[in-house]
Amino acid sequence: MKQETVLEVKNLQTYFYSSEGVAKAVDGVSFTLQKGETLGIVGESGCGKSMTSLSLLRLVPSPPGKIINGEILLNNTDILKLSDEELRKIRGNKISMIFQEPMTSLNPVLSVGEQIAESIRLHQGLSRKEAWQKAVDMIRLVGIPAPEKRAKQEPYQLSGGMRQRIMIAMALACTPDVLIADEPTTALDVTIQAQIIDIIQNLQKQLGMSIIFITHDLGVVAEICDKIAVMYAGQVVEEGTTESLFEKPLHPYTNGLIQSLPKLYEDQEELSTIHGTVPSPYNYPIGCRYAERCPFATDLCREQQPELLTVEQGKKVRCWMYSNEWQGETLMKELTV
Amino acid sequence: MTLFILKRLAQIIPVTLGVTLVVFLIMQMIPGDPAIILAGEGASQETVAELRENLGLNKPLAVQYTDYIKNLLQGDMGNSLKNNQPVFEEITSRLPITIELAFYSILITIVLGLIAGIISAIRPYSLMDVGLMVVALLGISLPSFWLGILLMYVFSVQLHWLPVAGWDSAKHIILPAVTLGAGGAAIVARMTRSSMLEVVNQDYIRTAKAKGLKGYIIILKHALRNALIPVITVVGLQFGSLLGGTVLVESVFAVNGLGRMIVDAIRTRDIPVVQGGVLVASLIFVFINLFVDILYRFFNKRMDLN
Amino acid sequence: MNKVTTTIDHSVLVNARKASRKKNLVSFLNKIKKNKAAVVGGIIILLYILMFLIGPIIAPYDPYDVQLDQKLQGPSVEHLMGTDDKGRDILSRILYGSRLSIGVGISAVLFGGTIGTFLGLIAGYYGRWVDSIISRILDIMLAFPGILLALAIVSALGPSLINVTIAVGFFSIPMFARIVRGSTMEVKKLEYIDAVKTLGANDMTILIKHIFPNILSPIIVQASMRLATAILSAAGLSFLGLGAQPPSPEWGAMLSNGRDFLFTAPYMALFPGIMISILVLGFNLFGDGLRDALDPRMKN
Repeated sequence: MKQETVLEVKNLQTYFYSSEGVAKAVDGVSFTLQKGETLGIVGESGCGKSMTSLSLLRLVPSPPGKIINGEILLNNTDILKLSDEELRKIRGNKISMIFQEPMTSLNPVLSVGEQIAESIRLHQGLSRKEAWQKAVDMIRLVGIPAPEKRAKQEPYQLSGGMRQRIMIAMALACTPDVLIADEPTTALDVTIQAQIIDIIQNLQKQLGMSIIFITHDLGVVAEICDKIAVMYAGQVVEEGTTESLFEKPLHPYTNGLIQSLPKLYEDQEELSTIHGTVPSPYNYPIGCRYAERCPFATDLCREQQPELLTVEQGKKVRCWMYSNEWQGETLMKELTV
Repeated sequence: MTLFILKRLAQIIPVTLGVTLVVFLIMQMIPGDPAIILAGEGASQETVAELRENLGLNKPLAVQYTDYIKNLLQGDMGNSLKNNQPVFEEITSRLPITIELAFYSILITIVLGLIAGIISAIRPYSLMDVGLMVVALLGISLPSFWLGILLMYVFSVQLHWLPVAGWDSAKHIILPAVTLGAGGAAIVARMTRSSMLEVVNQDYIRTAKAKGLKGYIIILKHALRNALIPVITVVGLQFGSLLGGTVLVESVFAVNGLGRMIVDAIRTRDIPVVQGGVLVASLIFVFINLFVDILYRFFNKRMDLN
Repeated sequence: MNKVTTTIDHSVLVNARKASRKKNLVSFLNKIKKNKAAVVGGIIILLYILMFLIGPIIAPYDPYDVQLDQKLQGPSVEHLMGTDDKGRDILSRILYGSRLSIGVGISAVLFGGTIGTFLGLIAGYYGRWVDSIISRILDIMLAFPGILLALAIVSALGPSLINVTIAVGFFSIPMFARIVRGSTMEVKKLEYIDAVKTLGANDMTILIKHIFPNILSPIIVQASMRLATAILSAAGLSFLGLGAQPPSPEWGAMLSNGRDFLFTAPYMALFPGIMISILVLGFNLFGDGLRDALDPRMKN
């Protein structure tokens, strides 16, 4: 099955300039997304995953942020080189985004139907009536009962889960090639989370779009993603298929993350945690950014920053352990799974 | 909603009565015996006594008050001490002028204020924004009566473009309306600007951008509709200073409205006229406030349920 | 729980509160310093206070001295602001007048502010019927548009600067009362007040020692705003002839006088107006800066 690359991000760098200095929120991120694939971007708060997604649509608040380098190729067109007008045409149309807070991400004074319909009118040139009808259909598609009535309502009349479904409807109304979901379930109750994830998966099957799913929740990612990119301190530190990542994590950070998931089928005396804190984006260390917290770190790690190496087909890792010069212990010995 | 309107209407009644009471009591504070003042100097004791009886001044205060209310409800506000004409007629003849002035002033306040506020908010900290905000700062700092004189000096005395005073033609309306509306416009501009700046940083604006909507649509349809909600309150509050301001502006431009009537009456100690004028102005204000309250509630019902 | 323990606990609470307030005060003053508008406004206000204090001392001429042969002269070296229709030096009149115009404002705000704060405290703290009555009264006072209430009071008492002060003070009461009432109600809800109550403090102590210091900052902001309005209103009333009577050099009265000579000697009206405007501008700038400094949402 020939896979086509829908999105290719090369060396994305988004920096923030303020009186406190330069925060390198996104510092050389690269990944690819195939058609119909779901890529998960995982990491702690502040690792730069949200900024990466905002950069894809050029929604970085600017000032103080700025995309200073990189290529974002959507079907071979570099988004970063588009004019404002061209950019506008693909937003919500070829590439869409849903946000974390459905409460504040919807306009409180407009009906939800209108918020969906305006996108349709704009990008697909339908008349008011046709667009409204299609909006109602979308609302039905995301599983909200009585869509004609709901379409006329305003966001405050809907529950959190319903609002997020509206956001999904709004994002998918023009059948984009790529959907970016920035922590869409984080602000919702666990039961609603499951519903939303279901809807997203179903719609993907129906509409065939590729998804970038950003979250800090490994559990969610395990369920829904084909491929995962783990981010730490503005960089991708590991990339691979979901199965291989969970089965055989390569990067010590990934390993730490997976180990800290509470285990359902074993007795645990204590929850395992990762020692230390994330370095400040204003002041990254010169060497590997994870060295401070890494149990395997050597002098090499602290002095030089590792590149993202391709270890096997589709598996990449940014760690000196997998280079030829490695002298210290390796993770392989530690694995118990 | 209708319940709310009825509730507020009910609340108005004690306030209205209170206003009449305050006006009544204030007039009672006037030193001197009204009968003597009315009768004039040199009047005999009997004339004065008779006058007191006629004016009902010998009755207890509470009764005088209830009589006052009774008369009010019939539209009787007494007669002017100056020309003995019914106060009610004087008021009704001059009120329309003040209302017209107030109308144009509010128009200037809203239109100028909104436009200035929106332009400033679209490009914050730009030259345009700073310039407009400096002008707005001046607008709220200059006393209205001085602004009127200033404008009069520039446009009438020096440039001869507009007439100095009076109320006969369209040209006469311009300076007083601008003078009266300027302060409000400045406040509305500042409020609109800060409200817009707050709204523009909200998540739903980011969503609108993410949908690829055009810039002017985001401003007008998404941002403005939300930003204007607090501005309504501000405009509502402006009515108060507007009505109060007519007193000053009408005096400066010699406009024959309610405000000037009150001021002239104070100078000539024409108590019934002052009483009537203040009362009418206050009652109008009370009802305008009610209306603005309801309007605000109407736009805000979505906020309440959140 | 013996009595000694109670007193010690009580003062520990008060001292802790004082310490944190001092810290807040210092950071607050820092914030004001950073805000350029507030600094400019503050400087303007200080200059006016200076004028208030030493104005009459540095005035070159006697403001009441009628010199008809010198009348209606434009600004010159001898008379920096010119002379008015009775030959009096305008600059001197402005300097003397500052005491009147500013003094009226300060007195009115002190008068209205004190009564208003008192009413607000009582209404906010005791609530229920006390609050109902006071709020109703405030509603009625606020039902009068703009300066109409002051106008009515002056009309009853007769035109004089003192009556204007009383009238303007009176119509400042509701604004203070409202703000104080709101703040008091908020502070009353703080758990800290309950803590003090359980230690046995009586109402008066609570009001004075605990609630009042915490509501000071909105009172101060309100006071600076009202001061500007009071000075404007007083000048306005004088302008209408209802305040300071001639030959008083109060600025509003000077403006009124100057209006008659707009064609021939516009500077007569220009200077008093400028003086009032700059003062109000100063208050507005300072008030803006004050509000920004107190706004918890502002990033440093």
